[in-house]
Order: sequence, then structure tokens, then C-alpha cells
Amino acid sequence: MMANLRLYLQGIKTALATRMAYRGDFIMSMLIMLLVELGAPFITFLIYENGASFPGWTMYEVLLIQGVFLLARGIAFPFYFGIVWNTINRVRDGTFDLLLIKPKSTLFMAIVTAFDAEDLGKFFGGIMLFGLALKRVPPPGLGEWLQFSAIFLVALVTLFGFALILAGLGIIWIGNFRVYDIFFTIINFGMYPTVIFSKAVQTIITMLIPIAIMGYIPAATLLGRPAAGTCWAVLASIAFLFMSLGFWRLMQKKYTSAGG
Amino acid sequence: MQISVENLTKVYKSYQRGNAFGEAVKSLFVRKPVYIHALKGISFNIERGELVGFLGPNGAGKSTTLKILTGILYPSGGKVSIMGFTPWKDRKKYVAKIGAVFGQKSQLLWDIPPVDAFYLNKAIYSIPEQVFKQTMDEMVELLEVGALIRKPTRQLSLGERMKCEFIMAMLHQPEIVFLDEPTIGLDVIAKDKIRQFILEMNKNGVTFILTTHDLSDIEHLAQRVIVVNHGERVFDNSLRTLRSRLGEKKIISVSTLNPLPALTLPGITITKQISAHNVELELDMAVCELNKFIALVNKSSTIRDLAVQEPQIETIIKELYQEE
Repeated sequence: MMANLRLYLQGIKTALATRMAYRGDFIMSMLIMLLVELGAPFITFLIYENGASFPGWTMYEVLLIQGVFLLARGIAFPFYFGIVWNTINRVRDGTFDLLLIKPKSTLFMAIVTAFDAEDLGKFFGGIMLFGLALKRVPPPGLGEWLQFSAIFLVALVTLFGFALILAGLGIIWIGNFRVYDIFFTIINFGMYPTVIFSKAVQTIITMLIPIAIMGYIPAATLLGRPAAGTCWAVLASIAFLFMSLGFWRLMQKKYTSAGG
Repeated sequence: MQISVENLTKVYKSYQRGNAFGEAVKSLFVRKPVYIHALKGISFNIERGELVGFLGPNGAGKSTTLKILTGILYPSGGKVSIMGFTPWKDRKKYVAKIGAVFGQKSQLLWDIPPVDAFYLNKAIYSIPEQVFKQTMDEMVELLEVGALIRKPTRQLSLGERMKCEFIMAMLHQPEIVFLDEPTIGLDVIAKDKIRQFILEMNKNGVTFILTTHDLSDIEHLAQRVIVVNHGERVFDNSLRTLRSRLGEKKIISVSTLNPLPALTLPGITITKQISAHNVELELDMAVCELNKFIALVNKSSTIRDLAVQEPQIETIIKELYQEE
């Protein structure tokens, strides 16, 4: 366990050293990432400034949902979601082989070599937005914080499940980038209160493909107004993780390598 | 026995698609599967400390074999036991004891110095600090790259990078090292250094399996040669035996004072008619003895210069590759 932690930290150090080789580009990329990610909260601000609203939700409550959503991705994307691009690129140029000749789990090696420093922009943006919104809503109690922490962890697990499915697809379905575009569009459903969607969509994003758990469900829990179907969403997320792990293993078995 | 490979097969499933627009559209809906038999039952054994050259034309199955032996690919059938492990079943335990250098796939990191990549490997293999430092220092000295390992990899020449790839592969002191075209694109000096390094490591008991298209690598390094073609083993023996496949043939270059007559005797095959006075030929000494050939040419044209060489290994390999 300690050896794996040391390896993961070494992976982060190596990735940072690689990215620091082009410091100017790194800082610019991170700032641009931060600005892009703050686009949705800015639109929320404009909606409320112009007198419209998401029914039953104040502006800062919605911004809190979006802060949680951004924070979840701000942790997932730099620290492990990079396995998607890492796998796609390595499978395409044949260097996925190099992960298989290391005495560690291939998935772990894919994570170790995938730290994406640029995506730290999401993390800092998430902290800013979350902190800003939290100051303007009634302060949560200890119980809410504990429940929020547990559900937020499940949100990170769900994002890990998505990363496994997308990376697994990259092993056999080389170069099909539209799937990833669809994913990034779909997960945006997680940053709004589910009341704005039809009942059918609410059911799908809560119980079937647990997207709502990435932002709405943990934020609603922190605000002391837990969403309907939270338990189902947690169970669906855990089932989703096991399914994703199985899918990744199956795809890894199907790996054919690039020509020699 | 360190490596035992028995009846190894690998079948890839691919899809056939025509090049016309209509066929491309059709392939969106209906695709005809094609099964490619990359390996058709290869078997061989390798002892500890051997240095084996693994040869074959492009698409013969040598890279597929190597990938199965390194645990990268699952075979379709057959048995493999390496140091008691089945590579694709005991992958993690097994790969801790092997190393690999892929001439066309770098383990170094482009923008940072090789030494940073070495430290990543130290963490991957959990190499103790003292062992790591000692091994790295030995390798660095042997390959003469002391001044280079702290420069960004992108600033190194191909030869310098390849030397660092070898250090990467050897830091955890593997018992078997798989080399896939390790000297591709290198100049003669870099090739020589790397070959010396391989021989030095081999002397220490490390088993090497080398695939290459550079036959001079084989001539300098391999004690034994395995040739595969069309997914089957077509030769497995020493380099000396490989050479003897050509019988008692010699390559002769002859230059004469007077124009040469037509050399149409049995056992003589003209390979290159340079001028009326200069010719290169292949002489089968089992049919025509060398002294008789020299006497004949000297009598008819007076020899000015004559060179006798062993046939090049390329000739033999080409014959093997062309055999069905």
C-alpha cells in the first residue's frame, strides 16, 4: 500500500516536472481551463440577475451545486480521469505495452502515468465556487457535512467508473472520439437541480446512470434538503463501479497491441 | 530450462473492407471478419544465460511471440512457462523479473531527463535506494552516459537515448531481457557500445532474446538463432549451423589482367559482372575446388587480385524467408 502511494506520488512529481518544462504554457492552460469552467456558473448568475430562476432554488444554492460538480471533476480529472486520454493515446501508438510490462496493475499504472496538471484549474475553480456559494447559504450542520462527504466520495467513485468505461472503449474502439463528446455533454446534467428535468430524465440520471450524484445530490444533502432517490443513486453508483471494473478487465483482455 | 514454449498459437480477428467508397459505406453496416493466424504452433526452449536471436521477415510472427512472452498479449493456444510463470496469468510477479527494450517505443519521458524516468522505475519496482544507486552508477559508467542522464531526453541523440533505455530496462536487475530491434537507426559506434553492454550483461548470466532486422546484431551477439516465417518456426540452431546451410559456398571477387572468358562451369554462379576484367561470383567448392578455379582463371586471364569471403548471412536468411 505504502509502495503504491510512493509510486503514485512519484508519478505526480514526474508529470509536474514534465509540465513545468513549458511553464508559460502550463500556467496559461490552467487559467484558460479555469475560465472555461466558470462559464456555466456565470450563465447561472446572468439567469438570476435577469429575474429568471430554477424553481425552488436560490442562486447561491444552484452555484453550490455547480461548485460541488466542478470540485468533483477538479479532483477526478487531474488525479485519475487522465486514464482515458492516456489509454487512448497509448493504445494508438502502441505504448500501452509498456504499462503491461510493469509489475503493477495495468489500471494503476495507467493512473500513475496519467496525472493531468492542467486540470488542476478545475480543482481551484471548484474550491473557489464552492467556498463562495457556501458563504451565502445557511451553514450546514455536522450531520450534513458527514453525509455530504460520504456522497461526495461516491460521486468521485462514479466519475472513476465513467473513466474506466471510456478508457476501456479506447482499447477496442480506437479513435472514436464522439463517444467522449457525448459523455462530456451528458454529465452536464449533474450540475443542475433535477427538478428542471422531466420525471423520466430524473429517474435515468439518478437511478440508472447516476449523473446527478456528481453535483446535485451531494449539494442537496449539504443544504439539508436531500434529493429523492439518494439511496438508489448511491447503490446505482456502486453497481456502476463494479460493472465498469468488469468492463475494463474485459477490454484489457481484448487488447491486441499495435503492429511491431 | 528457463523458457519453455509449446505449440504457441495466436489468431487475430480483423475485418475486411474494400477501398472503394461504396464498400466503405457498406462496411458501416456489414463487416466480413477475417481471421489472421499470426502464430501456428511455435515451440522452443531456452536455457538460462543464452543469447538468442529471433529472426523473421515483417509479419512473420516474431513480435507477436515476443509480446506473448512478455505478458502483453494473451495467446489463442499453447503453453508457455518462463521461470515457472505463465506470462499472461502471473503477469505482475513475472514481469518483475524481466526487462524489455523496444527500439521503437521509448520508456523515457521526452521533456525531462532520463534520471527522472529512472526514479519512476525505482518506485515501480520498489528498488531499495542503495541498490538503485549502485546499479545505476554501474550502468552509467559502462555505457558512458554520466553527463547525459540529467539533460532533457529531447536533447539527446538517438544513440544516447537508446543507452538510457537499456539502463531503464536493467535497473531492477532482470533475469531475462527481451530486445525488440534495439539498434534500429543507430550509428556504428552506438551499436558497438550497446552490443558490448549486452555481451557484458550476458556474461553476468542474464538471458537475452533479441529480435532484429539488423543481421550484424545477430552475427555479433547471438549464439543461437530461431527463425520464424508465416507464424511457424523454420530454423532453430546455432549461427554456425545456419551458415552451413549454404554448404561449402564462397563468395569470390576476381580481377584479371586479360578479359575473362565466359565462366559457365558447374559450381560457378556469376553474381555481378562489373567489367570484362572484374567479376563477383559464388563458388560451390563441393562441385568445383578453389585451387582448380584459381588455376583456370589464372591460365585464361592472369589474376591481378582475388578475394575469398564467407557467404553473407543475409543470403541464408533470404533463402529461409523465401521457403514456403
